[in-house]
Amino acid sequence: MNKWFKSGSPWIWLSAGGVSISLISVLGLLWLIASRGLTYFWPSVLYQFDVTDEQGVKTVVIGEIYDREEIPVSQLAHLNLALKPDQEILERLLIKTGNRELVSLDFRWLLSHNITKTQTPKELVVVERRTHGNFYGYIDSVVLEGKEVSVEQFPELLTRVENFQEKIDDLQKADIGAINYQLERLRLKTRKYQLQDKLTAKLQAEIDHEIVTLKQAYAELEQELMGYRQEISRDHIVMRAMDGQLVTINFESILKMTFNNRLNIFEKTALFFSQIGGFIIEDPREANTEGGVFPAIFGTVLMVLLMTIIVSPFGVIAAIYLHEYAGKNAFTKLLRIAVINLAGVPSIVYGVFGLGFLVYMVGGSLDQLFYSENLPSPTFGTPGVLWSSVTLAILTLPVVIVSTEEGLSRIPSAMRHGSLALGATKAETLWRIILPIASPAIMTGIILAIARAAGEVAPLMLVGVVKMAPNLPLDGNFPFLHLDRKFMHLGFHIYDVGFQSPNVEAARPLVFATALLLVSIIIALNMTAVKIRNNLREKYKMLEH
Amino acid sequence: MISISPKVLATGSDLSIGKKLDLNNLTPDQVALDINKLNLYYGQKQALNDITMSIPKGQVTAFIGPSGCGKSTLLRCINRMNDLIDTCHISGQINLHGNNIYDKHIDVAELRRKVGMVFQRPNPFPKTIYENVVYGIRITGENNRRVLDEAAERALRNAALWNEVKDRLHDSALGLSGGQQQRLVIARAIAIQPEVLLLDEPTSALDPISTLTIEELINDLKKQFTVVIVTHNMQQAARVSDQTAFMYMGDLIEYSDTNTLFTTPLKKKTEDYITGRYG
Repeated sequence: MNKWFKSGSPWIWLSAGGVSISLISVLGLLWLIASRGLTYFWPSVLYQFDVTDEQGVKTVVIGEIYDREEIPVSQLAHLNLALKPDQEILERLLIKTGNRELVSLDFRWLLSHNITKTQTPKELVVVERRTHGNFYGYIDSVVLEGKEVSVEQFPELLTRVENFQEKIDDLQKADIGAINYQLERLRLKTRKYQLQDKLTAKLQAEIDHEIVTLKQAYAELEQELMGYRQEISRDHIVMRAMDGQLVTINFESILKMTFNNRLNIFEKTALFFSQIGGFIIEDPREANTEGGVFPAIFGTVLMVLLMTIIVSPFGVIAAIYLHEYAGKNAFTKLLRIAVINLAGVPSIVYGVFGLGFLVYMVGGSLDQLFYSENLPSPTFGTPGVLWSSVTLAILTLPVVIVSTEEGLSRIPSAMRHGSLALGATKAETLWRIILPIASPAIMTGIILAIARAAGEVAPLMLVGVVKMAPNLPLDGNFPFLHLDRKFMHLGFHIYDVGFQSPNVEAARPLVFATALLLVSIIIALNMTAVKIRNNLREKYKMLEH
Repeated sequence: MISISPKVLATGSDLSIGKKLDLNNLTPDQVALDINKLNLYYGQKQALNDITMSIPKGQVTAFIGPSGCGKSTLLRCINRMNDLIDTCHISGQINLHGNNIYDKHIDVAELRRKVGMVFQRPNPFPKTIYENVVYGIRITGENNRRVLDEAAERALRNAALWNEVKDRLHDSALGLSGGQQQRLVIARAIAIQPEVLLLDEPTSALDPISTLTIEELINDLKKQFTVVIVTHNMQQAARVSDQTAFMYMGDLIEYSDTNTLFTTPLKKKTEDYITGRYG
């Protein structure tokens, strides 16, 4: 035994154990969120349950099984169930029944004990809608211009409506959006002239003329829009719900209708991937509990990229100063300790700083100076994507500084001496020799900064993230990148959907799916940076002497 | 290669015998560097004591002595590399063209362009061979492709490396062998046409064959440059140098032409050292 200890094996086992534990927890985490998140997109079987409750009342329940759990009988004593005396545990199913116009809750619990018959009829459909969530039931009839037609016509009618929907979206987002933007700019222009006392009658006339032209264009577009609206509201379908009630659903609110029980495995797989695709590229609906998360993905990536652009030069410059130019005295040591300690400040504190200093002071002053025509409504004096990026840049600054300094100190002095001996100044040596060799270390710092910033939510809640942003920070209107706009963020989306939404049960799989997406995006950003770093490393690798 | 070397060495020593210099009475145009009462301290500790010597132009001068005697320190004074050490301070003068290089008005970068240096271990930059050679020229602001190409070829030829690398100029310099790297570093130093070339134990990290190549190269280099070499290898000093200075504990003990120093040393300490009684 003693010999075994001396051989060093226990330490190998101990360290291997440590590695295994980390590996298992990482993989376990990924497996959990991946499995929970991805099953959300898999088209589930639609069930029809015949239920008889304790009073002998018979009902029919249609829906998908969301969850199963086992509960001890003692908890159900108040129901006076007729059970075998030795039965201690009962199974309970969580069923998503949808049909929000008929019942107020999307979900209901069923005791397996009460289910008398379970069927999976092939005619059952699930209708995904723009509003009011899913509808589960049977198709009763399809109505085209007031006349009943066969169900086979449904797909082509839906395609027709989808085409009109697309046109409407284009009109609203692009054309009408641009006109509104122009009108707003004209209003600001007038206001600016007024503030500067430069508004002459001629200018006023010019602006008025432009406004009239824009308004005319607007009216035409609106006319067109109304036409499309009428087209899409022409047809409807009639659905029969689980209790036999007939419900009319207009085509304009239908996104998709699927006979889940008729799909084979390939169709299900295809649907699965198209659902994932939709989740990634679509806008959210229904207070974020349905639809996709595209604006959140976009916001997260844009914010992280801006943060990287801001933090890298500052961090590198600060590190160069600390390592190359600052005197090696107590003050420099103090500075270095302060920088390292900055990394330990809770992130919400940075949020408060960002709000108090950046948003109100810096942003407020910018508004006074450059956007006075827009006051009292603030431009930069309100939370936005710029201030979020700057706040996170300050938050991640220590990471970049520390790893850049680390990289600078690892460079052999022979490199510096070689360059200096050739008549290069210190600055030239830094620029031509030291920084390129240190670039992998700088990239390491940036990787760590990205990893930290992409996952940070708390400070963003104060300096720019919102539940629902009407516009992306990047669009077709000059100056294209609108740094003053608020944005959506995946991390905040998880919090919002999971804990702030009216329908927490419905949102749970979305939380996992969004978490999976956030992790994937951070991994993708990191991998890109790691790839760049490895290329740099290959390029500037030092021979070990 | 080995069969050629004695011939080269023979001609080298013939030349030095042919125009033997009186080191104490050099004419100003024979002097490359004039070191005058140089004292150097690392903090409180004195590392060089009152060194006074003249280094003749177009010749190879070797500094020998046991480890820690100050020979490298003295060499590094000549292009002010000691400035990089915070605790180091200096009194006395080193004159290049009659100007004290420790004068306040001297541009250190300018000085180092005139006094190049090669270090003990080859230190090529992690760039291509070509970029390594033209680095010093680029620093001066020259970016004309033709000028750079010519300078690179000339420097590599002078460093006896051209034939080995002409087909892979744009490969990484780190792929060269140790001896090739050291010659590359020499090429890099002579590409900017310095007047003086300082070599700080240039062969101590190399194998015997590479050492020999470098020694031949040094013999060629003195036609164009004044070479000052530090070595702990007495045979090397005897082979390559025209003048030798023996240093001990920060003092310059004896300085004369190489043949005299190795055959009839004047000082007891020198004799003890070169006969291997200590060191």
